[in-house]
Amino acid sequence: MSAARRAVVLALGALLFAASEARAIDTCYNCHRNETDERLVGPTRNILRDIHFQKGLTCASCHGGNPADSEATAMDPDKGFIEHIDHKSIVKVCTKCHADAAYMKHFNPRPYIFSVEEFQTSVHAQLAARGDTKVATCTSCHGLHGILPHTDPASPVYKTNIPRTCAKCHNAEYMAGHNIPTDQFERYSQSVHGRALLEKGDVSAPACNDCHGNHGAAPPGVSDITMVCGTCHGREGELFVKSAMKAGMDKLGKRGCVTCHSNHGVQHPTDAMLGVEKPGVCGDCHPHGSKQDRATAVIVGGFFGLRDSLTVSDSLLKTAEVLGMETSLGREAWKDAQDHQVGIRAGLHSFDAAQITGALGEGLELAHKAASQGRAALKDWRNRRIGMALSLIVILFLIVLLALKIRQIEAGQKAPGAVSERT
Amino acid sequence: MIGRLIDWLNGRLGLDTFRELAEHKEVPIHRHSFWYYWGGMTLFLFGVQVATGILLLLYYRPSADEAYESVRFLMTQVSFGWLIRSIHSWSANLMIGAAFVHMFSAFLLKAYRAPREATWLSGMVLLGLALAFGFSGYLLPWNQLAFFATKVGTDIPGSVPLVGHFVLVFLRGGENITGGTLTRFYGFHVAVLPATATVILSLHLYLVQRHGMSVPPSVEDAGGRPRMMKFVPSFALRDAMGWLAALGVLALLAALFPWELGRKADPYSPAPAGIRPEWYFSWMFQTLRMLPSRILGLEGELVGVLGITLAGLGWAIVPFLDDPQGRGRRARVWTWVGIIAIVYVLVFTWLTYRDVKR
Repeated sequence: MSAARRAVVLALGALLFAASEARAIDTCYNCHRNETDERLVGPTRNILRDIHFQKGLTCASCHGGNPADSEATAMDPDKGFIEHIDHKSIVKVCTKCHADAAYMKHFNPRPYIFSVEEFQTSVHAQLAARGDTKVATCTSCHGLHGILPHTDPASPVYKTNIPRTCAKCHNAEYMAGHNIPTDQFERYSQSVHGRALLEKGDVSAPACNDCHGNHGAAPPGVSDITMVCGTCHGREGELFVKSAMKAGMDKLGKRGCVTCHSNHGVQHPTDAMLGVEKPGVCGDCHPHGSKQDRATAVIVGGFFGLRDSLTVSDSLLKTAEVLGMETSLGREAWKDAQDHQVGIRAGLHSFDAAQITGALGEGLELAHKAASQGRAALKDWRNRRIGMALSLIVILFLIVLLALKIRQIEAGQKAPGAVSERT
Repeated sequence: MIGRLIDWLNGRLGLDTFRELAEHKEVPIHRHSFWYYWGGMTLFLFGVQVATGILLLLYYRPSADEAYESVRFLMTQVSFGWLIRSIHSWSANLMIGAAFVHMFSAFLLKAYRAPREATWLSGMVLLGLALAFGFSGYLLPWNQLAFFATKVGTDIPGSVPLVGHFVLVFLRGGENITGGTLTRFYGFHVAVLPATATVILSLHLYLVQRHGMSVPPSVEDAGGRPRMMKFVPSFALRDAMGWLAALGVLALLAALFPWELGRKADPYSPAPAGIRPEWYFSWMFQTLRMLPSRILGLEGELVGVLGITLAGLGWAIVPFLDDPQGRGRRARVWTWVGIIAIVYVLVFTWLTYRDVKR
């Protein structure tokens, strides 16, 4: 048996032993699992896979009472038993352990320590404090009586399940009466982030909590939205924060990144977004003929000029490559120009005309260099063919001359070149 | 004036000896005379190799950092650099092709019979040197395909017990293909192999001159002595026609199918798809690929390498194994061995390219 298999068997054995031990002394589980009333048996159905149960905690850890007592006295409210933990008490019960760093270290040397202070900054906690019982609490997201670690793909808070978990509450039906949008999940599902996470299973794509936070969940404010996006889109965020555009937007109360890119329904940005004319997004704020329109036209024109130059030079190089010509120098220039184009796409977030125009000039120069290399390769290819044709004519002519010379030398001889019988 | 210069040179160099040699050298005329031209064709292509190789040397820089860039510079910035490199690469392939034709025709026409055993042996050494030229030259542009093909190629002798690891380290200049391997291959390609080839080629030409052209037994048996053709000018002019035709083919190939440079070698990137040795090694490569992993308790590749080595040795000493007169049952058996060898090489070469296409 390999070491890995032995370790797995030992781990499973330990888990089973721990569970059976728990069952042996947990009279709550032993009685409730044999009940017929769904209200009583329900909590036992998934409890064996609950991370708490597997770590040795019992029903009494949350509900109190005496798990060693097999009689009804085990559930004596005077001895701390709580039959039903109400909505506002759930956080207190959970934080009893999860906010206790010393206790949590028993289970994990680097535990996540729940911050009550952070939780209180959340819209959920603030509404709960005002007595709203529909608002999310720990069990709303993590489940209960079968709680899985967030790393388990079956957990409702596993990365790819988070949007649907949030949408359990953030939908039109549940949110009736709350004056907030409820189309976030539909829009997110169709967004570049949503498609990456939900369709491709790309866990590097952001889910709800990556922008709104986990336990301190709240909508990002006007001033911090750029920081939220900039967490992943660092270069763009950094340039935008320093830009005059950000200052202008702040004055007008516009929400940074989302003003152009939208929030939940954010799509893969395309070059078509540039410009005042639709589908460009600049026209949403800057009218035709405005000073900004004229400035944008120069940049946008230069950008599309670079894009066209890249397309043309790529086509020239590809044609030359198909013909077997050496184009690596041109291809290097083309790749540098393409890198410039990518850099300029990020650099547009600086809204600094001089900086963008300078980068565009460099990119165009490289693209032109690539194109001229491609044209030179094609010209060379044509010249080679002409050279080949001329050389073949000369070679053929020389062969004919040699043939005539041989005929002349051998004229009158008995056989071609024959001069003697072998002696 | 020119006459006096020739007289002056003749007095010191003995040019008359060469003139008399040329005047008296004759070539038999019969239905197989066509095959006599292949030795000269191989020699001509070797000459093209030497001339273009010297021109390439003017720009080539033999280090892992500069080799690829220097070849690219030559191909893109130097006037006719692309042509020189393409002709060098194509003529290398044509030369090996011509050498194979020369060898197989000499084998089937029994040209190795006494007293030409040494001519045959020196020819075999020259073919081995041509293959070594090809193998060492393939790595010099330091591109991705050559890098990995050389790795596979040098892995093969490494599988031989006792001496295999030593050979591998000797060829690579270490355990891995590095800049050291490139320098080593460059040394082989431009110094060791040319010097050796010059000596062996001189010996081969001397032996051809000494023993003259072999007449196949079938022609001798047909009765009568074959008529003879003057080497100069009749045969030499026909040779020149063939060489001009070869030059035309080279121009055609270089212009229509310029030799690719590919991407620079990157030891850390995965091996490119379609990796295979040059065509003249591919029948051996295919043989090793098709062998089972174990044969009689030994590694299949080891059995393959030993088998090919033994077959090569057997082929080299055929003058001593075949009937000295090239007639009779034993001679017919060896003729069939030659035909089977040709078919084997052709079929296994084709199989490699069919597999690569797939």
